Amino acid sequence: MKKWANTAKRSLPGALAVLAVLLLWEALCRVADVAVSKLPPPSAVILSLYHNASLLAEHSRATLAAVAAGLSLSVLVALALAVFMDRHSWLKQALYPLLIISQTIPIIALAPLFLIWFGLGLTSKIVVVALVCFFPMAINLVEGLEQVDPETINLLKVMQAGPAMIFRSAQLPAVLPYFFSGLKIAATYSVMGAVIGEWLAARWGLGVFMLRSMRSYQTANTFAAILVVVVLSLLLFKLTELAAWLAMPWHRHKSVYPEE
Amino acid sequence: MLRRNIRPALSLFLLLPGLALLFIPGCAGDGSSSDAEPDKITVLLDWTPNTNYSGMYAALEQGFYTEENLAVEFIQAPGSVIQIVSGGKAEFGVSYQEEVTFARLAGYPVVSIAAVLQHNTSGFASLKDKNITTPADFSGKTYGGWGSPVEEATIKALMEKDGADYSTVTIATTGEVDSLIVIEQEADFAWIYYGWTGVEAELKGMELNFIQLRDIDPALDYYTPVLVAGEALIEENPELIQRFMRATARGYRFAAENPAAAAEALLANAPELDRELVMASQEWLKDKYQDDAPRWGLQERERWESYTQWLFERGLIEEMIDVDKAFTNRFLE
Repeated sequence: MKKWANTAKRSLPGALAVLAVLLLWEALCRVADVAVSKLPPPSAVILSLYHNASLLAEHSRATLAAVAAGLSLSVLVALALAVFMDRHSWLKQALYPLLIISQTIPIIALAPLFLIWFGLGLTSKIVVVALVCFFPMAINLVEGLEQVDPETINLLKVMQAGPAMIFRSAQLPAVLPYFFSGLKIAATYSVMGAVIGEWLAARWGLGVFMLRSMRSYQTANTFAAILVVVVLSLLLFKLTELAAWLAMPWHRHKSVYPEE
Repeated sequence: MLRRNIRPALSLFLLLPGLALLFIPGCAGDGSSSDAEPDKITVLLDWTPNTNYSGMYAALEQGFYTEENLAVEFIQAPGSVIQIVSGGKAEFGVSYQEEVTFARLAGYPVVSIAAVLQHNTSGFASLKDKNITTPADFSGKTYGGWGSPVEEATIKALMEKDGADYSTVTIATTGEVDSLIVIEQEADFAWIYYGWTGVEAELKGMELNFIQLRDIDPALDYYTPVLVAGEALIEENPELIQRFMRATARGYRFAAENPAAAAEALLANAPELDRELVMASQEWLKDKYQDDAPRWGLQERERWESYTQWLFERGLIEEMIDVDKAFTNRFLE
């Protein structure tokens, strides 16, 4: 109980700040009489959200499919790569620069080519999401594996433990906090990644909704879709926090829901 | 001790792909027919769905494609139509004469197989109170657009025709910004397609001056938009194109005769659009599909030739394209 009260107390300033921004925004739109096509007031956005609820839900489903698949792909690839890089230091030296380069590529410029390489369907969106999410995952995992106590590993080796055993009992628990902080960043970016993919070519998805409402001069609808992207990203973030909390009981006091 | 803690973490790895699977079938599984397997074709749209495409959406909704045993899928792919169609990942696409010209010069084997609108409905729009009624009035004004060489050359050509000095025009790059907002605050005039943006201005009660390109220079009456197909498909499966074009031509004739139903067909496939704008735009456009041509979609060699010449004379293309290879009327029997 106390925990929840604490949580509520801590989220209060954030909630108030959001509310204040919204009220100020609404007031500004009304007082300055800004055209809805230039800056829709929050009330218009809420109204549009209400009117387009079922359509937005359908588009969200397509976006979430790309997000879920892309995020999973990036996690699996990053995990495999990080483990290999940790086992062979020459591989790490060889691949680390490439990892960083992968993040500096402006995806928006490359994404049209993805359409040609991976087709117009879900695959090309999955690849964009995976590319966006891969870097925070990989970097964190590599760093996490570096932090594993070598003494523990030596001890396990002495005890005749194989690589799988070492990974399970020493490396994985040590790397989990890094895994989850990477996943938090990746999850937050993932929805945006999917939207970028959909923006370029798609039948369904929040990116399609945004572009169509923008091109038919319905700015409030565009904002409604932006709001959905924000909420979905936040939900994914919270889901990751929850998963971290469940997966790392020994770590609870450190990261999430601190009790002071 | 350690192992117990790891289980939930491991199950997470399984959970995420599981989540993905949960969503995917819902998206991929659109209705598939049971009897004679229809040919699946993809049409790439060069913009978000709008009234230029209504004939195709009408053909879809009226079952004209089904009658030709075609299952047509429309995908909006602004900016990559040419690459994808010439790469064979989609059968057809929507483009425009200038793009086809540049694409062919760059080695993309695409061919224009129909003119969606018989004449170029684009031009320069400005607010009425700016008094820009001829290209000479562009002098000292600011143009808002993409700032591409063709835009600059077009403005320059129109002004020179009027004996005005192009160097007095300021070019502002406004890109994706709504043209109606651009001409209100960022610039004095912008290049718009009247059938969509011009109609939107009317609905908003904005008063515009509109200088239509083809009224100033007939060479600028190029085809926009056009439907394109890859040379490979034309070579290998002309019969498929024939069927697609038969149904599409029917769709555009239907749209011309039943603008309200065509607008509904478009809205049914793109419910995100503004209904009022779609209805008004459809009404404006209904006579522009076929216009003065003997049949919908026909393209004249002369028009291709004169715009190519125009581009060449201004150094916008380094060599002339063979226009006979760039377009064909053979699928419009």
